[in-house]
Amino acid sequence: MISRFRQFFQHLYARWLAHRLPPARQVQLNTRSLFIFPSRAGFSFLLLIVLCWLVATNYENNLVFGITCLLTAIFVVAILHSFANLSGLNLSCSRVSPGHAGHPLTIELVLHQSGKRLRENLILAFAGHEPVAIGIAATEEARVKLGFVPASRGLIDPGRLRVASLYPLGLFKVWTQIDLDIRCLVYPAPQTALNRQTTVSPVGGDNGLIVEVFEGGEDFTGLSDYRPGDSPKRIAWKQFAREQGLYTKHYGSAQDERLWLDWDAFPGLDTEARLSRLCGLLLSIVPLDIPYGLKLPGLIIAPNITDAHRLQVLRELALFGLPDRGGDR
Amino acid sequence: MTSPVWKIHRNGLFWLLVAFAAVIILHADHLPNWILLAAFVAIIWRIQLYRSAWRPPSRLIKTGLLGLCLAGLVAEYGSPIGLEPMVALLVSAYLLKLLEMHHRRDAYLVIFLAFFITALDALFDQSIGNTLYIIGCLLLVLAALLGLHGSDGNEGQLRPLGKAMTIMAQALPLMLLLFIFMPRLGALWSVPMQQQSAKTGVTDTMSPGDFSRLGRSGELAFRVSFEDAIPSQKSLYWRGLVLAEFDGRTWSRSSLSRFQDSNLVQWYGDPPKSWDQVVDRKGEPLTFSVVIEPTQQRWLYALDTPKPDSEGVGLTRDYRLISAHPLRSKKQYRANSWPEYRLEPQGLSSQHRAVYLQLPEEFNPRTRELASRWRKSVSGDPELVSRVMALYNSEFVYTLQPPLLGKHSVDEFLFDSQRGFCEHFAGSFVFFMRAAGIPARVVAGYQGGERHPDDYLVVRQYDAHAWAEIWLEDRGWVRVDPTAAVAPQRIEQDLQSVLGDETDFLADSPASLVRFRHIGWLNQLRLQIESLNYNWALWVLGYDQIQTAFLRNLLGDNSPWRIALAMIGVGGGLLLLLGLWMLLPRRSERSRDQLDREFLRLCQKLEKAGFPRQVGEGPRDYTQRVAGSRPELARQLVEVTRMYETMRYAGETPDARTLARTIHSLRINRSG
Repeated sequence: MISRFRQFFQHLYARWLAHRLPPARQVQLNTRSLFIFPSRAGFSFLLLIVLCWLVATNYENNLVFGITCLLTAIFVVAILHSFANLSGLNLSCSRVSPGHAGHPLTIELVLHQSGKRLRENLILAFAGHEPVAIGIAATEEARVKLGFVPASRGLIDPGRLRVASLYPLGLFKVWTQIDLDIRCLVYPAPQTALNRQTTVSPVGGDNGLIVEVFEGGEDFTGLSDYRPGDSPKRIAWKQFAREQGLYTKHYGSAQDERLWLDWDAFPGLDTEARLSRLCGLLLSIVPLDIPYGLKLPGLIIAPNITDAHRLQVLRELALFGLPDRGGDR
Repeated sequence: MTSPVWKIHRNGLFWLLVAFAAVIILHADHLPNWILLAAFVAIIWRIQLYRSAWRPPSRLIKTGLLGLCLAGLVAEYGSPIGLEPMVALLVSAYLLKLLEMHHRRDAYLVIFLAFFITALDALFDQSIGNTLYIIGCLLLVLAALLGLHGSDGNEGQLRPLGKAMTIMAQALPLMLLLFIFMPRLGALWSVPMQQQSAKTGVTDTMSPGDFSRLGRSGELAFRVSFEDAIPSQKSLYWRGLVLAEFDGRTWSRSSLSRFQDSNLVQWYGDPPKSWDQVVDRKGEPLTFSVVIEPTQQRWLYALDTPKPDSEGVGLTRDYRLISAHPLRSKKQYRANSWPEYRLEPQGLSSQHRAVYLQLPEEFNPRTRELASRWRKSVSGDPELVSRVMALYNSEFVYTLQPPLLGKHSVDEFLFDSQRGFCEHFAGSFVFFMRAAGIPARVVAGYQGGERHPDDYLVVRQYDAHAWAEIWLEDRGWVRVDPTAAVAPQRIEQDLQSVLGDETDFLADSPASLVRFRHIGWLNQLRLQIESLNYNWALWVLGYDQIQTAFLRNLLGDNSPWRIALAMIGVGGGLLLLLGLWMLLPRRSERSRDQLDREFLRLCQKLEKAGFPRQVGEGPRDYTQRVAGSRPELARQLVEVTRMYETMRYAGETPDARTLARTIHSLRINRSG
């Protein structure tokens, strides 16, 4: 019952927040966007003021009364100082490094102010993530990298950014929850376990396992220096035995080296599982320097090997089947 | 979301310990020495904890320390009731808590305790010097609170103190406002008092030696300012107590004088009691106001014959003023006095007569015998009085160092030693009068005072005095001061003029500047300090007593509504000004913002033309990218960017208007 009430109020709060602080690429913190309320320490401080007042009144001591007044005045002035620590700051997102679902990615924010005000101990965090504290010392711009762990692939909104500060006295908490209109491109979580059932079809259509491709007596094309990460199965043991060094064998024709990441290679799995496996496969193929293509329902990307190609493939994997593919950012 | 292990950073700890040391030193003079030692150990331990050199106290050690502190307090003070044990207890809690700060909230507790303990010091000492030290302590504690929230680092070491000063300075006007306007309620319940405070001043008993002890002290008793001129020195008899009961050695208050019967006190504002009719006040009254130092007692001092003119002050049946509460801090009160008066001229009730004739049987037979002999040989009471006074005048010596007296103290004084201070003269005189059948009583208080050039009177402990009152037919109670017969200078000038050369004079106040009255510039300095202290006492320490009048003068009316309105109005105004000053951007910031706005307009223009600015793209990168696709705009775009960058970042005087014009003149067609 209580949790339902709570949910209801959280829902109301979120709606009100969405109305008051709509998404924007750049947000200036001001009276509209900042909230302020006494912290727990602030309420304790009020208790301290009441105690001092009681002493002053019962001992009829004007000096203690004066100290009580001073503490009260400090409490009030602290409101302004707490507010000033955040007010006037402009926040925007400068860069989002793409990442995989379930793995942390970095969101870089720019904090920019037009003056040279000293700002201390600003605490920034996306909901449910480790907060980062930062101070801005007399510079106009500061950059801060925040971690964010997306739960799923796609163009993901990291949610509202919480910016808070207890500075200077800890008596007031000033905070805001702003939506910087950030969309993180999140690739599927890579599923690397490559078992016998998972297949990658080489061009030519005989649905052999990729491991069989390498094992299966295609034309030997040459040797190259062994690089860490090369499959042990392709190590030229003969040359190694002759103490000529460690080489990796290369097989197949140029045509044979072009692999397809094929949607249909994973029968019986659901969309996300297939995408995860394709993504995992992609990651393990990339170091092999073999051209690869992508086949998704309704989409074929011809094999290629460039970085741009890799990013495009990852992007398609991230956005496959999602209604809102978002603007190109 | 808070990190599980909180550790105070170096800066925070530094200010916390500085504040800690300052607060302990503030209270050092009324804390037992072992607490000071413990505080020192706590500081060292805390530093070692920070350096991870020592381990935090285990639960066993903590319990042990707590027990040790409590045992120490019990041994030191016995009872936990009282101000000193309370402060000592708080200080022990403060230093134990310092050793176990595991969370930020522990640090808050330490700091709030420091605030409270600092405030409590104002109960012990309210001098200007101590007040400044208290403010310094509050500043350091505030810096400690700031240090908790600021960032760490060497370059910011002093930053918390600077910020604390700023906050304190900005809080001052608001504090003054609150201090002036906030109503004072008066004590809500009775509170433990200082235990060890030396209660110097006139006490409610008088034994030989009491007043000569006061002659050793130059401490302040009270200050008086008169509405008109200060009356002549010899009429300044500050009536404080009436002592009517004698047990052979000590004079004390009679049961009549202990105001247990509410009928015997007429509080200010009450309808006149029936006994108020027996005093016959003549002529114009003197109006004066007194600022009295805390005595922890209830009696007040006034000239004869007084009527209170302040809330919480009452007139007793024996025509003294008393306060409704013991004087825990400086108190100010106003009173009117009629120097020409006749007290109970119509006659004494038999009950009163018995009280004022009471004498213990078994003491001072020689005095009794002499009194009854003289009684028979004189024609009337006045003649008897002048005969006794003549006796004092002829044989007796006025001194601060009288010899000790035995069982028959009056006999020994009158017939053997003949050396005494005011209490010997007043006591023996009253005894003599009673033995001769004249109702008499001892009055204790102060006589005289020093005239300050700023037109007020400073009464010190060495002005303490005792004199006599006798009741004469048709004239009522008449003041007789036997000391005047021995040492008229004491009454007409002051004690120093008579006994200034005696070694006991001011012996308890060796540093008192009063001693050096004859050195001109030093005396000037002394008088100026004295004047500063008086105004401090009058306007700050005693503000609650002039608040009503002050607010009435200031606002024309002191209704709660008007006070609330004034407070909210002025306070709100102050805060608004401060807020505007703090939060509004400076001029330079404003013009920079203008530049930003103009550049944003350019971005919008370009976006419409199909070149949206990308996230994180700097102005130059952006315009260069656009210029790359639209070479015909390149020259203008480069120019605008150069202008914007030099004005915005290179410190060139911002001129938003020129920039606006240039941007406006830029015509961009939508690219195909």
